[in-house]
Amino acid sequence: MWRKAILLSLREKKVFTVFTLIYTTLIFLTSLFIGLGFRGELGELAWYFVLIFFGTSLFLSLLYAWILVSRKRRVWATFKCIGYTNKDILVLVSGIIFFTTLVGFFIVIEVLFHYAAIVTYLNQLPDVYFTLEVLVDLLPVVITSGIFIFVQILAFILAYRKVLKVRPIIALKKVGE
Amino acid sequence: MSSDKDIMIEAVDVNKEYRRAGAIIRALADVNLKIRSGEFAIIQGPTGCGKSTLLNVLSGLDLPDSGRIIFDGENIARATEDRLSRLRRQKIGFVFQEFNLVNTLTAMENVESVLWPTVLRQKEIENRAISALRDVDLLDRKDHFPVQMSGGEKQRCAIARAIIHRPRVILADEPSGNLDPQSEKEVMALLKKINKEMETTILLVTHRDLSSYGDKTILMDSGRITKIK
Repeated sequence: MWRKAILLSLREKKVFTVFTLIYTTLIFLTSLFIGLGFRGELGELAWYFVLIFFGTSLFLSLLYAWILVSRKRRVWATFKCIGYTNKDILVLVSGIIFFTTLVGFFIVIEVLFHYAAIVTYLNQLPDVYFTLEVLVDLLPVVITSGIFIFVQILAFILAYRKVLKVRPIIALKKVGE
Repeated sequence: MSSDKDIMIEAVDVNKEYRRAGAIIRALADVNLKIRSGEFAIIQGPTGCGKSTLLNVLSGLDLPDSGRIIFDGENIARATEDRLSRLRRQKIGFVFQEFNLVNTLTAMENVESVLWPTVLRQKEIENRAISALRDVDLLDRKDHFPVQMSGGEKQRCAIARAIIHRPRVILADEPSGNLDPQSEKEVMALLKKINKEMETTILLVTHRDLSSYGDKTILMDSGRITKIK
């Protein structure tokens, strides 16, 4: 079923791309500001930003869960008619949300990894008279992943509550009825 | 002569009321009905006569206010949602008026989707989907998306989805309601073929006269069965 969730998310190209890009940006910014907060740069302001990004990611994850269930009510109702339990549908919905976030994380880690490699290389060159710092350390990324897992759990709970409310009978109604 | 063992679906004193805009609408009034195993039954009646409500309660999609629904020997009138889901997965295939295919999935994937939550291996699921698509003569369209198919093809794909798990019963809600006359003939002939060759019980709801395809036609009006012929 997880593989089918990936298939379903990849086929919804527009929604998937938009939310992946938003998640990527949020994960990067949250990690960056957690890093700044640890280093004492920007003072308390860094932690206010972290709080803002946490709120934004919470809002977006709940919005994503809501979009996935509400926009596809007829699909989930049809699946219920053909024998899916609420749990089966939740696996698909949460799989889509989880996969989108995971792709966001991979992009961020990939970018940070390459950036760190370039920085290390440049700092070793004899003719370079400036020092570049690694943008984000590992710890802030790990903490960010914890934040996002927490936020996704809340999104799964919302999705499940909404899935429970989808009545299979909707599938038998005419479009627009 | 039929015995009780031959009865696939039985409705006993079934009543169902709806409240709409403050008024109480009696959708089903003391409905008693027996559908034998392997039978092709057509429920016919005008819009609002209660035929879709009857289909809903017979399939466990809706609960009756009173009465019993015996499905393959089991009273499902008060069954839990999970039990009803399992029953639909194992024993029922659905065909909808609006096809209800997932637009982002190919014909093959739509047919396969019924078996996704099962323990079957992907290869087995694919083999069954190919077999079901072959049965409805749609194998050459297996990689097409619903938007690339005609109404008749979409409905044949939906029928393939309904038979992939070899259900005992197919419930069809106005399956030819959105089709042109030629496609309607093809879809009805296909359902008839499935009924005969796979011995699948078919319960079809329609507002049109399709009695020539069925073994039994149940006429309904104002929530009551008025005639069985």
